[in-house]
Amino acid sequence: MIKIVKRDQPSKAIFFFTPVLAIFLTLIAGGIIFYILGFKPIEALKFFFIVPIADKYGFSELLLKATPLCLIAIGLSFCFKSNNWNIGAEGQLTFGAIVSGGVALLFYDQEGLYILPIVILAGAIGGMIYASIPAILKTYFNTNEILVSLMLVYVSKLILDYLVVGPWSNPEGFNFPETRQFSDSARLPLLFEGLRIHAGIFLALAAVIISWFVFYKTYLGFQMKVSGFSLKTAKYAGYKGKKMIILVFLISGACAGLAGVGEITGPIGQLHREVSPDYGFTAIIVAFLGRLHPVGIIFASLVVAITYLGAETAQIFMQIPKYTGQVFQGMILFFLLASDYLLFFKFKFIGSKK
Amino acid sequence: MNTNLKISNITKIYPGCVANNDVSLEFNSGKIYALLGENGAGKSTLVKILSGVVIPDEGKIYLNKNILKLNSPSDAKKNDIGMVFQHFNLFETLSVFENLIIDSDEQRENLKEKIDTIMKKYNFSVDLDVPVLNLSAGQKQKVEIIRCLIRSPKVLIMDEPTSVLTEQETSELFLSLKKFSEEGILIIYITHKLKEVMQLCDEVAVMRRGKLVSVSQINNENIESLANKMVGQDLKTIKKKKENTSSEQLIKITNLNFTSEDPFETNLVDINFSLNRGECLGIAGISGNGQSELFQVLSGEIISNKNSIEFNKNLIGDLNPQERREYLMAFSPEDRLEQAAIPQMAIFENVALNNFKSSNFFNNGLINESKIKEHSKKIISEFNVNTDNIDLKSQFLSGGNLQKLIIGRELITSPDLLICFNPTWGLDVGAINYIHETLIKINEQNKSIILISTDTDELLKLSDKISVIHRGKLSKIMNAEDVTSEKLGILMGGGN
Repeated sequence: MIKIVKRDQPSKAIFFFTPVLAIFLTLIAGGIIFYILGFKPIEALKFFFIVPIADKYGFSELLLKATPLCLIAIGLSFCFKSNNWNIGAEGQLTFGAIVSGGVALLFYDQEGLYILPIVILAGAIGGMIYASIPAILKTYFNTNEILVSLMLVYVSKLILDYLVVGPWSNPEGFNFPETRQFSDSARLPLLFEGLRIHAGIFLALAAVIISWFVFYKTYLGFQMKVSGFSLKTAKYAGYKGKKMIILVFLISGACAGLAGVGEITGPIGQLHREVSPDYGFTAIIVAFLGRLHPVGIIFASLVVAITYLGAETAQIFMQIPKYTGQVFQGMILFFLLASDYLLFFKFKFIGSKK
Repeated sequence: MNTNLKISNITKIYPGCVANNDVSLEFNSGKIYALLGENGAGKSTLVKILSGVVIPDEGKIYLNKNILKLNSPSDAKKNDIGMVFQHFNLFETLSVFENLIIDSDEQRENLKEKIDTIMKKYNFSVDLDVPVLNLSAGQKQKVEIIRCLIRSPKVLIMDEPTSVLTEQETSELFLSLKKFSEEGILIIYITHKLKEVMQLCDEVAVMRRGKLVSVSQINNENIESLANKMVGQDLKTIKKKKENTSSEQLIKITNLNFTSEDPFETNLVDINFSLNRGECLGIAGISGNGQSELFQVLSGEIISNKNSIEFNKNLIGDLNPQERREYLMAFSPEDRLEQAAIPQMAIFENVALNNFKSSNFFNNGLINESKIKEHSKKIISEFNVNTDNIDLKSQFLSGGNLQKLIIGRELITSPDLLICFNPTWGLDVGAINYIHETLIKINEQNKSIILISTDTDELLKLSDKISVIHRGKLSKIMNAEDVTSEKLGILMGGGN
């Protein structure tokens, strides 16, 4: 007989084991789904998870997709660790892309080393401005940041839509909904000839290191940690709890904005309707799969990035819609939440007596 | 139709605390019964047992001689026991009628008719179509009462019903309760307010520390006798030896006011007092009379007028807790697990919550972990915290050890003034003694203490001066030698 018992204390080993378990269960469930659809499960999973990254190009694509996911998730980890539920990173990414794209367009016919830093900075500021809206509404008017940040996603997408078909559309672009190409000086440099992986990956790595340092080594990080656990304690210790809330939103917005910069100045090189395939939402899964820990987030962003690639390969080779990728992302989150049950409960096997 | 409710030998033990110790009581309809006691006397546990929320470890309940099994609140409802809790269980955004129909199995029309009859009979006027959030506290309570009356209860239990009511609403409530009683509903009225007991009830049962102290007719009692029973006479004799109190003033509070936006908080009205070095000022009162607000105002969690607090000749009313610590104040809040410490963080991280500039825990914005750890080890050894692992999460410390850690954290920097709020709440005897000894010791070192506590025993033992807070107002400051538990009891209940 199996009995479920509450654990005396959440297990540290299980804390890092459940993400692995979740991925494993996702693979099994994915295999079953493929089987029902009439594919050979093993082969299908191979197409989904191994074929896409089997060559140099595939690996570069993996890093390309993982970069924005990692960057956004690092930013979100600041919010989530302090109990601020910013789920509007997609909007902050879009708005960051709009601002940095706008700046890049100002310089479209100019060259110079000074342009790229300005464009990058503009993206971060754009993301911060956009994230400050739910933060300020939450701290001063008690609104719910989940609703506000989510709804602002759609607002930003509509703004982008308006700009690329209206005032910012390419005058020589035959009315396609896109802007001019940015000048080369406004583009993040490619790292290798023939591959799309670009310097944005260094932004992500820098974010990982900085976030680890800030959160675990500085007084600021300590104050954020305390404020996240208990605002009452923060108040008692004399920390400025409201400022902490706004700060984590700003950090998170800046990271999402930078991810937006990476998208438009990296592979795309212009603003168009779809700057991001929902990286901002998927990064929420990445943040939790990575246990909100900087190193965990690196691994999680790689795992989740595969689902984007796998979906494309599967569409090409197996004629499965690429939305299967989202099914896999959903399953990962589902199984992660489900296996988190093991954090607080354990199974006890009781031998039946005869 | 007579109702007889009998509870016999009820015992309920929580870890570290006997909430009800062999309590037996008998109630008959036609009378209003008061259940009187201080916070933590065991009233609420008894009421929760009667309403099926808590299941007793031992003992039986009989309704009209039939044994009653109350395993859930719905069992209580089925057996015609109605209950109005101190905090309302209403959906704020739904209308009054929607709130009433939710847990009723009657048809819409029937229910409406029934409610109309009840309202007419008892002269209630509540608009049924208005959302509950637009109602006053008194009206919300009427909705709760109507909800009970719909089921035509035999027993109606009211848990501290007047704590949120105005004087006017209170007298209306009393009229209704008397009417219910005349109609044969057995009424049990839980309170710690002596005046109300005298006004309303026929019989009174007093509880103290989980035990039933006395049951008596109201005619044989007066406010003084009840106060004595409630607080307990046996406690007033233990007192601290008065030594070396200087006449040098340390802190002076002048015309301090606080008006809260939150209806569940208490406003503070014209607080004035001063305290000399080496003295302990005890502030007594029944919880919820403004103690928590007073603590926050004194600690700087609530910032007030700069001139209202003078500490060591500095005006500090507008400083936050961290800034006040620099002036050598220290604070130990009531809530150990949610405010004074963070259970999920390690012991040494909790130590870093009390951070002086001179402690150098954080240099140039960076955490100086070795400094904090060194400091933590010192606290642990000096204040007998029973662990040697400062990386341990503080949730694994017992309440007593955690409180020692907190008090130690606040005292190791030798502050001039310690403000503590219920420092021994929920602790075992050993830990209580240790904390008391520590507090007496720092008084002897010519440091001052403001002790806000709901434990009269503790206050009489430690204080040099005592004041009582009632509805956000402080009474006159009295010398502890002149205070009797009787007097405290009266002041706590709002008497003079």
